[in-house]
Amino acid sequence: MTTFFLFIGIAMCVLVLLCLYRATMGPNVLNRTAGISAIGTKTLIILLIMGIVYDRIDMFVDISMVYALLNFIGCLVLAKYLERSREVSC
Amino acid sequence: MIRDSDDVIVKTLARLLMPFIVGFALYVLMHGHHSPGGGFQGGVILAAGFVLLCVSFGLQWTQRWMTRKTAELFSSIGVFIYGGIGVLCLILGGNYLDYGRLSRVLGVDVAEARSLGILGVEIGVALAVMAVMCTLFFMIFTAVDESGGQGGEQ
Amino acid sequence: MLVKDVISIVFMLVGLFFFTTATLGLLRLPDFYARLHATGKGDTLAVFISLLGVAVYHGFSLVSVKVVFIAVFMFLAQPTSTHAISRAAFRCGVRPWTLEDGENSQHEGAKR
Repeated sequence: MTTFFLFIGIAMCVLVLLCLYRATMGPNVLNRTAGISAIGTKTLIILLIMGIVYDRIDMFVDISMVYALLNFIGCLVLAKYLERSREVSC
Repeated sequence: MIRDSDDVIVKTLARLLMPFIVGFALYVLMHGHHSPGGGFQGGVILAAGFVLLCVSFGLQWTQRWMTRKTAELFSSIGVFIYGGIGVLCLILGGNYLDYGRLSRVLGVDVAEARSLGILGVEIGVALAVMAVMCTLFFMIFTAVDESGGQGGEQ
Repeated sequence: MLVKDVISIVFMLVGLFFFTTATLGLLRLPDFYARLHATGKGDTLAVFISLLGVAVYHGFSLVSVKVVFIAVFMFLAQPTSTHAISRAAFRCGVRPWTLEDGENSQHEGAKR
């Protein structure tokens, strides 16, 4: 069962690498924000899977909760900062 | 200057989530012995909740509760709590931050005095970290306004 | 193999499928709003299902209660952050991709 979760985690890491293309090469800063938000969502699951694999999920669940909270607040702050800015090329 | 957002969805969610964020920050602060966490992490989560309020309700609304001066006061109080507990241990005849000596003041046995001493130090650290994070946030988001550049109408 | 293991495996595989779909949408769709639409819906459902799989695997304890709490939080927070980003893009003046753009040049929309 641990092996199954390990393979799910590896597949999730490949998906993170694919999202990293949008986060680095995205045409403007809004696309990068969307890519970073998607990466954060996948990292949340990867943290829980690491907890299952290392058999310390009681420790990792707190970390992933903090990660979800900070990902959400970071997205809101970026959206507020970029609102009505002229630097985003149309 | 961050103006008041006219976004009902973000405002409602901030109002809904704020008690849970503060409760979770206190959990991380108090439960730092057994799980990842402690003073620094609890303070950062408190500051993140504060930033959420700032983003959704605007800087002026938030500064009714926390101005720059209040943040500086809180950071000083946090450092004072940390140093005060250390010096109190020193006065009672131990080393700096030797919590076992606090058992005479608190009236409990040595092991529990150590636990309570660590908790007090962590509360001081959390207050200082939260206040410094808020100060940094204020400085970053008001510096755009003073320069009068492109982001001036933000 | 227990019943809860089977349920957990099914949940994790369905979550992985939705994650893959959302990532493909993020990579391949033509403009910003369409990409945000793909991740906003796909990732929310995928996170919910994957967290339920983890909670079922671990059984009933304080940890699974916390995992369900994360699931509820993500179910509230993810649409809100998607809404905030798309609103910021609309205020910035990002135009949606239309069919005329697609007829002019195939890869024009990828510039947005």
